[in-house]
Amino acid sequence: MITRRNSTLIASVVIAGGFLGGCVAGPKPPIYYYGSYPRTLYKLKKDPSPASSAKHQASLEEVIKVSKDKNLRVPPGIHCEYGYLLWQKGQRSDAETQFNLEMQTYPESVVFVTLVLKTLKHEPST
Amino acid sequence: MTTKLAKFPLMYEERPVSILVLPPINTTTAADAKDYYATTIAGPLAFRGFYVLPIEVTSDVLKSQGIYDTETIIHQPVAKFKQFFGADAVLYTEITKWSTAYAVIAANLTVGFHATLKSTATERVLWEYSGTVVVDLTGRSNSGNPLADLIAGAVATSIATAAADYVPYATQTNVQILQTIPVGKYHEDYLKDQSVTFVDQTPAAGIGKGAGK
Repeated sequence: MITRRNSTLIASVVIAGGFLGGCVAGPKPPIYYYGSYPRTLYKLKKDPSPASSAKHQASLEEVIKVSKDKNLRVPPGIHCEYGYLLWQKGQRSDAETQFNLEMQTYPESVVFVTLVLKTLKHEPST
Repeated sequence: MTTKLAKFPLMYEERPVSILVLPPINTTTAADAKDYYATTIAGPLAFRGFYVLPIEVTSDVLKSQGIYDTETIIHQPVAKFKQFFGADAVLYTEITKWSTAYAVIAANLTVGFHATLKSTATERVLWEYSGTVVVDLTGRSNSGNPLADLIAGAVATSIATAAADYVPYATQTNVQILQTIPVGKYHEDYLKDQSVTFVDQTPAAGIGKGAGK
């Protein structure tokens, strides 16, 4: 069922546009939902501030939530990036939850997420 | 024209799952091109079916290990990226164009990248391609009065150029370039796209080859 809210989401994904390459025979649903993630990341890099950081955090949360609602895998790295942000804010327990979700969703990320945790805890990496 | 299998057989042989994207090498004079690149590559690469290590986090981890830019490590072996980062391959990108050419009554925005994917297991180049997107930013006016149109057009062009947002065009460039890559495991065409055709490029000055630039 396409509600107005869904159609706005769909429209904004299509307009966000550049990520959706290679549609072959007819429109297939994209494997990931990114929402405003590229936009808020760009704004965060262009004008770093508590405000742009908060907006980017909201984007990450939205990507995770909508992916769940649509039964899509959360895109690669999103849980990890969100966890990293939470750790920087002192929310270590929530951060570790996100890091675990990244490793569960993408087993190939285990070595990297382990390294990230070691780096955050200032442990030697060897 | 060539096919994915003919041009990039090593991708089908090694089947990299995870990719570490290094900070781009910027050969243009645009100081901020590097910072914005990250926002335009992660999504397109993920949509091609690869696990992409989160770029901002990777960049911070690299910095904590003393690696601030790719230029210093470009000729070094990549095996440690497998050992410490778990990456099957490393993506090097050279930003070849990131500019607005402005001539009062006409303006173009150009974005160009050259991308190289190198195996951390074998150090071989698995995939390499480049692309450019040119966007016409020329403001147009149609009042019927040619002089007024020229002035209004010039004003519109200068506004368009000043506000030029590279992000969608850089993203588009990456999507274009990545059309030629044999897709990764999360893509529905994984290991089925060998006969996809595309224009064969002679990689002229690829990463590390144009030494002394």
